[in-house]
Amino acid sequence: MAARTTVPFGPQHPVLPEPIQLKITYEDEKVVEVVPAIGYGHRGIEKACELNEYTKNIYLCERICGICSYIHSVSVVEVTEKLWPVELPPRVKYLRTIWAEMSRTHSHLLWLGLLADAFGFESMFLQFWRIRERVLDLLEMTTGQRVIQSVNVVGGVRRDISPEQKKTCIETLNTVRKESEALIKVLTKDYTVKSRTIGKGVLTKEQALQLGCAGPTLRGSGVREDARLTKYDAYGELNYEPVVEEAGDSYARALVRARELFQAIDLQLEALAKLPEGEIAVRVRGNPPANEDVMRTEAPRGELFYYAKGNGTRNLERLKVRTPTFANIPSLLVMLPGCELADVPVIVLSIDPCISCTER
Amino acid sequence: MMENLKAITKDELLNEGEKLLTGGAKFITAVCRDLGEQLEVTYFFSLKGGTEMYPLRYTVNKEEEVPSFSQITLATVLIENEMKEMFGLKVKDLALDFGGHLLLAQDSPVTPLLKTTGKTASKGGD
Repeated sequence: MAARTTVPFGPQHPVLPEPIQLKITYEDEKVVEVVPAIGYGHRGIEKACELNEYTKNIYLCERICGICSYIHSVSVVEVTEKLWPVELPPRVKYLRTIWAEMSRTHSHLLWLGLLADAFGFESMFLQFWRIRERVLDLLEMTTGQRVIQSVNVVGGVRRDISPEQKKTCIETLNTVRKESEALIKVLTKDYTVKSRTIGKGVLTKEQALQLGCAGPTLRGSGVREDARLTKYDAYGELNYEPVVEEAGDSYARALVRARELFQAIDLQLEALAKLPEGEIAVRVRGNPPANEDVMRTEAPRGELFYYAKGNGTRNLERLKVRTPTFANIPSLLVMLPGCELADVPVIVLSIDPCISCTER
Repeated sequence: MMENLKAITKDELLNEGEKLLTGGAKFITAVCRDLGEQLEVTYFFSLKGGTEMYPLRYTVNKEEEVPSFSQITLATVLIENEMKEMFGLKVKDLALDFGGHLLLAQDSPVTPLLKTTGKTASKGGD
């Protein structure tokens, strides 16, 4: 029997922009055991949310993550709104949907760039991120901010999309689609990419369900599950069907994100076309009632879960945030054992880990 | 208001949760809340493509031990460690026990999410 060696993968590693450590035990270059270690950047945001007035929780929660800031903002606002509950104007639901899908578009472009970079395709990495800048331009134009949009408030949104901005959005999204198609065609057909992702890090449908996975990690294993199926915001009125791939390997998870990128563009175009006229906010009076509820939204990396408990004061008694990466980390305990040590970085990257979210 | 909320005892958790998993449910997360003398723990499961949610809730005294659902699925291992650290929930038989240091460092305050002020643990190595 060959000797077993345990090595730390992270917390600093070229494929990990944020700190997480995997203690990997291997034997003859084959991984036999993995133990995750997080906690390098825990910020105690749930505790801070209990100490703040509920309106200030938006400011905090949209800073949980710089990539999916927008969806955190929607989630904390909507779980708070459900405590009354607040009936939102239709235009608010559409605007929130448009910005959420814009957020997914730039997040998936970011990840596709990171995937290219993991293979050493630095030009392709830069090209994906160049396209992503166009989406950030749209966010800046419509919300006033590129990264942390701060556009949601309890009862509505702060900004509207004007007819001129709508026209620019449609033109830009069509450009983003055209440019992304060309790059993704190259990425998904490349021999190196295929040989290092097909059959690597396989997670079966049963395992994905059993381990409580979320988002593209779950749908890449053939599970048709997506929080958008609950029809929150405008999703019930849009032509939406979750993207599902069956193979369960790293390639399938990449394909789910690539296809979701185009689907997100389609959803934005459809929502812009159907954008109803009307108010962009309603007045919400009083404190959050003594009630509890949950809000489940589909962040770019998977289902984002917020639980809120009000007690009739301006402070929430409890706010719980479960992020998709927190749900997907256990899947690494199944995906990695049996794989070659050299495949670990790409398999880890294939769940699109967001440690900033995990370390809320 | 949460739909389908079912009150259980801590001893029913494994059976009730396993029944849901066998029926095709997926574990989402668990939420712990400090009620003063007691802790309230809610396990959330989803069904039918995530469109339906089934929460199971039990309440225990703070000093009571509770079973770990990680014996049935590893999906709960991180959140059960987190509840143990943040609330002092006495979870026994964890499939992977981080010893109180999944999220908290050795010199972090202990049980910081309890309503009573968290104490500061002694630094490691002392």
